[in-house]
Amino acid sequence: MIINKLIPFYLILLGGFLSGGSPIRDATEKYIISQFDVDVSINMHTLKLDTELKALVQNRVKQRFYRDELYYWTISNNDTTIAYAIMDNVLGKSMPITFLVIVEIDGRIINSEVIKYREAYGGEVGNKNWLAQFTHFSDTSDFKLGKNIDGISGATISVNSLSKGIQKIAILFPLIKDKLN
Amino acid sequence: MKTIFTIVFFGIINMAIAQDEFFQPGSTIGGYGELHWNKASNADGESTKNTMDFHRFIIYYGYNWTEKWSFKSEVELEHNFVADAKGELELEQAFVNYHAGNWGFQGGVILPTAGLLNEYHEPPLFLSVERPVYSKYIIPTTWFGNGFAFYGNISDFKFRLALMEDLEGEGISSDGIRDGRGKGFETTGYNLLKNISVAYTGINGLRLGGSLSMNDAPYDNDADTSISVQLVEVNAKYTANNIYAVLEYGTSSFTGNNMDAPLKSSSGYYLDLGYDIGGMFNCNKLIPWLRVSNVSKNDDDISKQTDYLRFGLTWWPINDVAFKTDFANVTVEDNTTTEFNLGIGYKF
Repeated sequence: MIINKLIPFYLILLGGFLSGGSPIRDATEKYIISQFDVDVSINMHTLKLDTELKALVQNRVKQRFYRDELYYWTISNNDTTIAYAIMDNVLGKSMPITFLVIVEIDGRIINSEVIKYREAYGGEVGNKNWLAQFTHFSDTSDFKLGKNIDGISGATISVNSLSKGIQKIAILFPLIKDKLN
Repeated sequence: MKTIFTIVFFGIINMAIAQDEFFQPGSTIGGYGELHWNKASNADGESTKNTMDFHRFIIYYGYNWTEKWSFKSEVELEHNFVADAKGELELEQAFVNYHAGNWGFQGGVILPTAGLLNEYHEPPLFLSVERPVYSKYIIPTTWFGNGFAFYGNISDFKFRLALMEDLEGEGISSDGIRDGRGKGFETTGYNLLKNISVAYTGINGLRLGGSLSMNDAPYDNDADTSISVQLVEVNAKYTANNIYAVLEYGTSSFTGNNMDAPLKSSSGYYLDLGYDIGGMFNCNKLIPWLRVSNVSKNDDDISKQTDYLRFGLTWWPINDVAFKTDFANVTVEDNTTTEFNLGIGYKF
């Protein structure tokens, strides 16, 4: 009997164990909260990308999705969703670059961040000034490198790859918005 | 019960993110190459050169064991084939890399950080058909060899220290440093080349950098007879608002130890200015450009000092493929010859 009474305790313990030990999630959620002046609550979800949707976005941007699913967070203030944060990966020269894009309800980018960069060269794409260029961009913006987005000498592969990755999120968002929690 | 379910549900999602963190062990293949058609004429307009050359074919192979431990390599074939002392097959890079976020280590066949092109020399990354002459004689690109490197970044600054094989004193000539590269072939480590560099990328589109390389290059593998070499260079590149601008300057000094050095110093610079008009023609990136350059292989010998005035047009239909053409006046001691080049370069 006592074992049965302890089941909820064990489950909470298990949940606590499972919810710990993710540096990427910790860094991401810390970053999201830091981007808002008001108190926000955030909840993480996964989104499966169907084949047709993936093809549509990939063909426009000329870059494949890294996986078939994305992680995203709903960002709420006083029980009202005020923004979303979407995490994806793009391939650098040989390693994934994990990045996050925070978008307003209307699809305009609030901010972008490199959550994890794993290679010796090209890490300059994590530079906040460079990432700030994408702020206010949306699915209809021109992401052309050298014109609206400055390049970074010595980080060409990462710049090309991440620019397309952020553009993919900007194009994807209006197409998935109604499916988000 | 609902609370417990919620905790477990989000725990499982979180475990998924924690377990893979998106990295998977595996290999990567890449590469680059360039075809050149080079023509030249003397002061009388007579043809002195007309060659078609697939100058470089490079295959990149890398393997990632973990997020932190990886291997990277480049094998290069120059001029299509190797026979009768023509063409070259080179192991240009082959190193183990430990990368821990803001710092890392490399060991194997590595590149010193010297000038803009030595580490980033894929053809779509520079304007001209051939690499700038500066990047051949002042910075002996591609400069590679056996050694170790430590690197790190603080804020918008990148630092790197490379300790590499000695230069070969017997290769250093009155034409400067270029033939002193050991290329990892039976080289020595008496004095070790010290290569220290810093780069700043805190302003969008701008890169500022510089490096110092020092070595007592043993003559015929004799550590007591050597040439002390010091190469100092600075570089700047700006690519934003459709503007393309590059400035590099470098100088080397040579001092003999128990021998006479074949030269005292060499120096040079080049300035590239271009403007992207691709938007006007809806053709991705199209840059007409101008290069002004002086390359002095030997500062005490006027016959080895050359002025270049080069202009060209480079078109990138996609960012990884470039079609190039350029024309140059090449002046040595008031004698001006001309060059005309066509080329295509790619990377993937």
